[in-house]
Amino acid sequence: MSEFKSGFFIGGEACNGRVLVVDDEPDIRKVVKMTLQKAGYEVLEAENGEKAIEVINSGENRLLLDVVICDIRMPKINGAEAIAYFRSNYPHVPLIVLTGFPDTDMATSFLRQGVVDYLVKPVEGEKLRSAVARAMEQRELARL
Amino acid sequence: MERSDHTKAAILGAGRGGHALLDLLHQIPSIEIVGIADRDPDAPGLQRAREIRVPVSDDVPSLIRTPGLGLIMDVTGDPAMEIYLHAHKPSAADILSGSASRLLWKLIQHESKLEAELLQAEKLAGIGSFASGIAHDINNPLQLILGLAENLIEERDLTAVHEQARDIVEAVKRTSAICRDLTQYSRRASHREEALVSINGKLDEALKIARYASSFHDIEMIKHYQTGAAVKGNPDELLHVLVNLITNAVHAMEQVGGTLTLETKLLNGQVDVRISDTGCGIAPEKIPEIFEPFFTTKAPGKGTGLGLYNVKTIVNKMHGRIAVESELDKGSVFTLTFPNGESTEQGCQS
Repeated sequence: MSEFKSGFFIGGEACNGRVLVVDDEPDIRKVVKMTLQKAGYEVLEAENGEKAIEVINSGENRLLLDVVICDIRMPKINGAEAIAYFRSNYPHVPLIVLTGFPDTDMATSFLRQGVVDYLVKPVEGEKLRSAVARAMEQRELARL
Repeated sequence: MERSDHTKAAILGAGRGGHALLDLLHQIPSIEIVGIADRDPDAPGLQRAREIRVPVSDDVPSLIRTPGLGLIMDVTGDPAMEIYLHAHKPSAADILSGSASRLLWKLIQHESKLEAELLQAEKLAGIGSFASGIAHDINNPLQLILGLAENLIEERDLTAVHEQARDIVEAVKRTSAICRDLTQYSRRASHREEALVSINGKLDEALKIARYASSFHDIEMIKHYQTGAAVKGNPDELLHVLVNLITNAVHAMEQVGGTLTLETKLLNGQVDVRISDTGCGIAPEKIPEIFEPFFTTKAPGKGTGLGLYNVKTIVNKMHGRIAVESELDKGSVFTLTFPNGESTEQGCQS
């Protein structure tokens, strides 16, 4: 059993971790989900910051959510506000920003806030998966 | 009714010079052209006058006796005409002839060139603020295309392959539309290209462009369009006016969201276009200043202060009016009133 770090099963299959994708574009959620599922992650979706906060606060997600991938430009509660919420309420959950707008100032400020990675769309599947893998390592450290 | 800045003018001579003067003076709301005269009934200026409903005459003596005539512009180039006018013109009328007329024409032309430059400068400055909107709208479909293409390399299910290939095609089409919209918007307004423009179509086009400049998240859209609303003017300039007003409305609601209402109405031979927001509003003492050049409430480097100034210039040129009602923290309503383009949607350029 030791090869499965998070050590839980979904539908009889080993799961490498539970990832929440927050983006207002259904197309992006679909394609990120497709990319991560191939690497054995379970992927949850939220269409804006408000929904994302709802998801992380519901049931077992409080404990079992491993990584959040978050867009910035979104309706209702936007990415920056959602990230601030996650950092103060769930500091052990690593965050990855996935945005359409490359902005160095914004990237620096997010990384200072403890965001693990700032990725600019379009990002290759391999790069996204390795960012999630790094975030998972951090998550594991937080569990110790 | 007679206002001090209102001038009645007559144009003598309808050749190239008369034609150009007619076109230029026609754009100035405070000048009423009471008639244009030429011996040749087929002179180009007379044809143009018939199109824009300016009275045409071959009877100079009665034209220059039009009551209230303030200005006679003589571009006949005929020395006999000059002598005749000096002998017979009403005492209240000034005469501009020969080189003075040509100079005026040149000055007006120069001013209209400067105006066009100013408009273009403001438009290009504004496009800088489109960067984040454009990046969002291009990079999102690119992410979809990349993700699907990576998947297609390994995908074995033929149905899925077909579906994903179709998604890629759609995403590419969406992306290329962005460049099309923006290049059209950023081009210099073609000089004096007047057309009958469907105002509803232009509003929708402006909405597309304005989405790049500002975030429409949390903004509810309401449209009340009356079909057949059409105005006469330069379509590119009208688009610029509408993009400007919509962008301002959305910026006014940026922090809190709200409702953007676009309305068009045909009423008593005129077209009303109303753009309303429920945003921060304008302080009453600022309202008289908003159409002044270089007035801005934006942070340094964010706005040129030329937006509403250019809007007003264009609206005036189209023989329209602009009015604003606003209340702090309640919102603003900008109403444009144009003479009806006298047509239905058919034959309109959108």
